[in-house]
Amino acid sequence: MIDFESFQAALGMLFSSASPWLIVIPGILIGLVFGAIPGLQISMAMAIFLPMTLYMDFMQAMLFLTAIFTGGSFGGSIPAILMNIPGTSSAIATAFDGYPMARQGRHNLALGVALSASCIGVIVGYSILLLLINPISEIVLRIGPAEMTVVILWGITLIGSLSSGSLLKGLISGMAGLLVGTIGYGEAGVARGTFGSAYLLDGVPVIPAMIGMFAASELFRLAKTDYLVEDSAARKVSVRQILSGFRIASTYPWVVLRGSLIGVFIGSIPGVGSSIANLLSYMVTKRNAEDPGSFGRGNPSGVVASEAANSTSEAGSMATLLALGIPGGGATAVMLAAFAMHNITGGPQFIREETDVVYAIIVANFGQAFLLIGLGLLLIPLLANVVKVPMSYLVPSVLALAVFGSFGLTGDLSGPVTVLVFSVAGWVFKRYGYSVPAAVVGLLLGGMAEDSVIYSYQISGGQWSYLLERPMALAILVLLAMSLFGSRLLAMLTRRVRR
Amino acid sequence: MSRHSGLVNKHRIADLLVLLVLASLVGLYAIDAMRASRSLYNLIFVLPVTGLVLLLCLAQFVASVPKIRTVAEEQEPVAHVVPVVALFAAYVLSLHWIGFDVGTLLFLAVFLWLHGERRWPWLLGYSIGFASLVSIFFSKMLPYPMPMLILTSAY
Repeated sequence: MIDFESFQAALGMLFSSASPWLIVIPGILIGLVFGAIPGLQISMAMAIFLPMTLYMDFMQAMLFLTAIFTGGSFGGSIPAILMNIPGTSSAIATAFDGYPMARQGRHNLALGVALSASCIGVIVGYSILLLLINPISEIVLRIGPAEMTVVILWGITLIGSLSSGSLLKGLISGMAGLLVGTIGYGEAGVARGTFGSAYLLDGVPVIPAMIGMFAASELFRLAKTDYLVEDSAARKVSVRQILSGFRIASTYPWVVLRGSLIGVFIGSIPGVGSSIANLLSYMVTKRNAEDPGSFGRGNPSGVVASEAANSTSEAGSMATLLALGIPGGGATAVMLAAFAMHNITGGPQFIREETDVVYAIIVANFGQAFLLIGLGLLLIPLLANVVKVPMSYLVPSVLALAVFGSFGLTGDLSGPVTVLVFSVAGWVFKRYGYSVPAAVVGLLLGGMAEDSVIYSYQISGGQWSYLLERPMALAILVLLAMSLFGSRLLAMLTRRVRR
Repeated sequence: MSRHSGLVNKHRIADLLVLLVLASLVGLYAIDAMRASRSLYNLIFVLPVTGLVLLLCLAQFVASVPKIRTVAEEQEPVAHVVPVVALFAAYVLSLHWIGFDVGTLLFLAVFLWLHGERRWPWLLGYSIGFASLVSIFFSKMLPYPMPMLILTSAY
């Protein structure tokens, strides 16, 4: 389990001088700021500051980059709660209950709950990583394209059934999102659905589409309101209330633990993890709650479930990166670049030979969680003042920021145009009861789902019996069926037994 | 519990129209994909998912038609949203010609004026200040030039 000699060496590396920690603080602040500004991404922050790591040794570079990652993971929840704009796809479920809490004037509490759940999540996630890095990497190696396909379908089904009043409309949204995600050049080398536009050859720019569907469409609806929080008495920023968010989060230990476990294991699946983990944790929490009807209306345990899972999915993706050398998303891809810059290759050999460095990275993340509490408490009161800004100023400012951010992501005007098109689509979806989160997750994962289906076909030679040889895929398929029909089946069986 | 109004409800009709447009777009995409190439790898994912979406749309249509005369939940009037969408569209589509600096300034100023801000120092001060600050910040941060009319496009 733990190599105590290496663990001791790791502690020596971290605590023999203050220098490793001096780069962690700016790292967390950079992550917080980039995560909190709609349109700026954690991976963008890491890429921008990557050249600086050339002047650091490998461990310092990893501490700096993971600090940006940790800060950004929580930073993304700030716009999700205050403006219903998930800063990243891993904060989608945070907005489900965080934003209603903000609109009810409980923004301080929601931010406190998110911060504490994130910090506890980081600690729990990296503790699991410390104990189970080898078994996790072995499980990840068994995940093939068939498992990826069913995980994606499961995610879409979950979110479709969860986030819309109508199951049918939720599923339509998710599946249509998957199709939009395949626009442009596919594996067959032909372009589809581009309507002759060269901008669409590489597909629909996903993050601008997400900003448009979530943020801009919501801002259109809010334009006629005076303030984000209607009640003027509830608009104040209170550190005491933020701190009481910590107390509330601590009353849901099972939600945190379950979210953390989901975050680590689902987060370790390359590419899919962080987008699905927060949704899955939210769904499981809602299903097991005594009052599932209160979810989506400002239930703090929804925020806890999502934040615990998304902050631990960072640990999961780090497991894949360290143990296998496979980046799970944009942020870990930048970390892989840092590996290359320091002539280091991730994988089993790295874990075997540099165990002390791996432990140092893990232990440093415990420290980062505590630093995040302090820095978050300093920064949140400043950011929470957004509720005091009149909507006539806030709406155009955030819309303009979204336009700048989307230009930054694509490097041309296709980004802002995508925001515009998808903001109208998002508004229509919301108005007629379709699920915006399901459509966005579908859009994010559409290309990957298609590739996974093609690879599964190639591996299996078109034989359905191949699925029977994949117990993990079968198990997830059973879970998928249960999440769709489980509660109805149970109700039907209960009725029969009573008769 | 939905109430029966006796009259065809406009929102329900619009709901059905949205469903039809969605189904049509999905169908058109599948046709376009087939036109591009009929190879297995091109259609192995797109066609089954299209079929599934169309089936779901049909099921939703069948479920929605009987509700066409029931009263829908109250929605915000479309007239509230249209001016904001139109202004935002004008802003985005004019960026190529008037740049991010002037475009943002005009967008903010017009938005504020439409939403009742009549204090000219506030209106102009905020629009100019915000547009300049954000334009300069992003043009410094991004590694490629941004369309600008007055400010320098590359820093």
